[in-house]
Amino acid sequence: MKRIIQKLTVAACFVATAFTVQAQNADEVFRAAGSPHNPKVQISFNRYYTAEGLAALGKKIADAYPNLVKRVSIGKSYEGRDMWMLQITNFEKGDPDRKPGFYVDGNIHSNEIQGGEISIYTAWYLTENYGDIDFVTEMLDNRIFYIVPTINPDARNNYMQEPNTGSSPRAGMIAMDDDQDGLFDEDLPDDIDGNGSITQMRRKSPTGNMIVDPQDPRKMIAIGVDDNVPADVVRYEFLGQEGIDNDGDGQVNEDPHGYYDPNRDWAWKWQPDYIQRGAYKYPFSVPENRAVADFVLAHPNIAGGQSFHNSGGMILRGPGAEEDLSTYNRADIRIYDAIGEKGEKILPGYRYLTVYKDLYSVFGGELDWFYGSRGIYTFTNEIFTSFAYYKNNEGGRRGGNLSYDVDSELLMGDAFEPWKTFNHPTYGEIEVGGFKKNFGRATPGFMLEEECHRNMAFTLYHAYHMPNLSISNVEEKDLGGGLKEITATISNDRLMPTHASQDLKYKIERPDYISIAGVDVQAGMIVEDADFGVTTEQKVNPAKLEVANIPGDGFVKVRWIVSGKGKYTITVDSAKGGLVTK
Amino acid sequence: MKIKLMRCCALVILGFITTLVQAQDYNNAQQLAQRLRSLASSSSSASLESLTKTLGGKDIWMLTLGTGDVDNKPAIAVVGGVEGKHLLGVEMAVRFAEDVIANRSELLENTTFYVFPNMSPDATEQYFAALKYGRSGNAKPTDDDRDGRLDEDPFEDLNGDGMITMMRVYDETGDWTTHAADARVMVKADKSKGEKGTYKYFTEGRDNDLDGKFNEDGQGGIHFNKSLTYEYAYFTPGAGEHPVSELENRALLDMLYTKWNIFSVVTFGPGNNLSSPWKYNRAGASKRVVTSILNGDDDINQLVSSKYNEIVGLKDAPRSDDQGGDFYQWAYFHFGKLSFGTPGWWVPTVKGDSTAAPNKDKNAEVNFIRWAAQEGINNAFVEWTAIDHPDFPGQKVEVGGVAPFLMMNPPLEKIGDLGEKHAEFIAELAGMQPEIKLVNVKSESVGKGLTRITADLYNAGTLPTHSTMGQRSRWLRRVKVALQLDGNQEVVSGRKVQLIRNVDGDEAQQLTWLIKGKGSVTIEAGAPHTGIVSSSVDLK
Repeated sequence: MKRIIQKLTVAACFVATAFTVQAQNADEVFRAAGSPHNPKVQISFNRYYTAEGLAALGKKIADAYPNLVKRVSIGKSYEGRDMWMLQITNFEKGDPDRKPGFYVDGNIHSNEIQGGEISIYTAWYLTENYGDIDFVTEMLDNRIFYIVPTINPDARNNYMQEPNTGSSPRAGMIAMDDDQDGLFDEDLPDDIDGNGSITQMRRKSPTGNMIVDPQDPRKMIAIGVDDNVPADVVRYEFLGQEGIDNDGDGQVNEDPHGYYDPNRDWAWKWQPDYIQRGAYKYPFSVPENRAVADFVLAHPNIAGGQSFHNSGGMILRGPGAEEDLSTYNRADIRIYDAIGEKGEKILPGYRYLTVYKDLYSVFGGELDWFYGSRGIYTFTNEIFTSFAYYKNNEGGRRGGNLSYDVDSELLMGDAFEPWKTFNHPTYGEIEVGGFKKNFGRATPGFMLEEECHRNMAFTLYHAYHMPNLSISNVEEKDLGGGLKEITATISNDRLMPTHASQDLKYKIERPDYISIAGVDVQAGMIVEDADFGVTTEQKVNPAKLEVANIPGDGFVKVRWIVSGKGKYTITVDSAKGGLVTK
Repeated sequence: MKIKLMRCCALVILGFITTLVQAQDYNNAQQLAQRLRSLASSSSSASLESLTKTLGGKDIWMLTLGTGDVDNKPAIAVVGGVEGKHLLGVEMAVRFAEDVIANRSELLENTTFYVFPNMSPDATEQYFAALKYGRSGNAKPTDDDRDGRLDEDPFEDLNGDGMITMMRVYDETGDWTTHAADARVMVKADKSKGEKGTYKYFTEGRDNDLDGKFNEDGQGGIHFNKSLTYEYAYFTPGAGEHPVSELENRALLDMLYTKWNIFSVVTFGPGNNLSSPWKYNRAGASKRVVTSILNGDDDINQLVSSKYNEIVGLKDAPRSDDQGGDFYQWAYFHFGKLSFGTPGWWVPTVKGDSTAAPNKDKNAEVNFIRWAAQEGINNAFVEWTAIDHPDFPGQKVEVGGVAPFLMMNPPLEKIGDLGEKHAEFIAELAGMQPEIKLVNVKSESVGKGLTRITADLYNAGTLPTHSTMGQRSRWLRRVKVALQLDGNQEVVSGRKVQLIRNVDGDEAQQLTWLIKGKGSVTIEAGAPHTGIVSSSVDLK
């Protein structure tokens, strides 16, 4: 424990000094394609940052680019940390909250940390390249990003700073009574060897069914019934994860942090804990999620969403639960497929999958709420896959010697804690060792920047395809008698419609308004078929036509019969498509 | 307007006088607060707190009735006002609390009651407003028709009687016709019997936003009883954008989730599984998302229901009005407690004499009008009167219909002793509560400083410590049996701590340990909702 604190202090000093480093002189660097070559803000993307580390980096970016970044706290975590959001757009052009919005977060599962760094990388990349790369400049002129690097800051720190495995605590820090004995979080894992990671316990035992691999002392081999193990070979038994029986109830580590799953807390088809483990009291009873939900509810301009988890190399869409299959209909799946399949190309080794059939069938996930309840196209990426180690799938997922090879060949032995002997209060003499918590799920440092960049590239592709509206054509026809017919074509040249089909089905978001000002409007109508003159008249308030949807890669035509001369303006006002005037 | 105000003042004064005896009319928020405060100050066994204020600025009250270690005695939560139109539910909850303090305080030795009298205080206030109409929603502005405009098409009191009733428009294209037994009552024409409608039928008001629908987006609000998580009906008026979105819902649930001693919830509201119990359905119970009471729990419901009918004596209950997102189903299906609900009263079925046209389809409005006439309630029906309606120029439009509130909320003198009867029923339920005891505690020497202890863990109650649903839920603690040892004592056989999933009513489970050492050990057993007992045993 002490050792890890010391190590962290050192890391913190490094962070502090990194901030004081100024940009290099221009003649000292040469641009590598696609990356900011002389950024105002220097960040190392080969290590991870605590909640405070991410907060400091966000502040640094916001301070360096005040016209492009607003840093706001959207609420407080359970332990009282600010939930920092970076709002990124060109704040000097247009009303920021009326631009199509893209929401990004990371780290809902506290041990799944890469989302924090991907978020910071995205903020950094967008700001450092604004004005240099046209794609980025246009993106920030016309869209806004709402990025929350960690939505589980308390337990992110717990994962990093307290003893954990690579898969814990996953929950947040609200204490729960897992074994229903009236005590809360009373039997956490214990870091017997003091290395900051919860690894394995083994014990020499004449009846044990494991032996040490004679070719690799890190590795244990299971003895089969037909194996003939010589009598002088030491047998071992596994005793589970490092820990002691803290509460004296005869069980080890049975009530760790939580347990609840912040990703079973979202309000789409939410179900209680007994139906699928992890739900807390009711939707958004986890305070960090409530902060996000309240923000999203107050920002109907959000059209796309992305959350980052780990691991396995997956680009996931809903439904999360098999029972919710009918929510995702064909028209929307077509859009998910287009973006997801592009993602498979951008993210080698990643597969585009559907949660309920390829992962597990659960209710209350974040991506389901974003889509089902708000009509926002949303993906969850499970960051990192073992494909990345050797750029192939040989060695299999979790199979064979892969982890041991990586430990010795790529990480110089930094991933594995060698077995050491300790005295356990219940088990007597034991040995503790195994892979450390930062190996397996978290991307190793030397590959982290690439991981960040590719996931950002996928996110930007998704964001690019939020609706992009224009008034592409206006035609006038004199009807005689002082009447004029004005026909306007409103185009959307991106994949996403202004209303997902889920949105249309339940009228989640208001219709798009297409209005005309400056003339007297006698009648207004939506043109269904221009050639045959099929129209649907809007009898009430025809100057402000209500259009249910402006389809992706498509258009709508509207028509007014007007009188009066002079200039007129046409305005398209769409919650998710933005505000356009001509 | 003036007349109304005067009446209100009179009511307030009346309210103050009668709190000491028995309220003669339903309480507005202020009167309720006064009544609860005076109850709380009348007894050391009652305490009152406000959990939160609603958006409308009204308190959500919680009364705790209990003595001693209240949070470690088995408890029943009693909840009223889950439906804002149902003021009777508030009254029944308060009368229960008053009855316990006045007449049944001995109950509190073994049981705690948490009483939440009114979960819809923004809505119930409409009963006392200048314009009366049945209201379920709180004060949150909502876009009930999801057209992007908030509260743009409210009711209008077209006939100026201070109430919102209905309006019928004579129109050949309409689908409505008059009821055969009472021409004042409107019903949908039954096309399968060759009937043709001649009326359109709307709530009283104008089509303010000219969308062809009447009053579809008035002062909406979130309905408490539509906004919980069980079978929540997404995107329907009154449900809100997501379950448990409102301050009052969250305040109640947050409180309930800290009360580990609650074994049962009794709700005064539209849902009724007391007149007829919930029925077990194998298909619904075996799906992952459970939609039926579970096997075994239906027997409990059956038992409790039979006690209810025996004690309360109400007959001819209308079909239970269970709805998605309601509270009493949540309390069982998602909170894992034994949950019971009743409206507390309903319009008795009038057995018409030979002069009355038979009410063949048991139309509730026809029955209500007949009952009101029989009881001498003369403001029950607003006779149809013609008005000029600007949305129907040149058409015959009449305003009238059953007066708001009365069908669910009779004049209080009509409920007789139902308050006491329901208190008696809840007392009976408390008498059935799980009660963990350690009995037949024995110790025997096995020699050489070893003692064998045996004890029966006995549930002296009628109800199991854990229903089938309770065994699944994480919100009921296990029955914990723990030995307290000193440093010189050691458990040689048996578990120092064990957690037991269930002990059925009147059932026992034998426990045994081998202990090495001298002196005495203490066995502690129970859970907050079963009571916690301990027993000291001398080692031989």
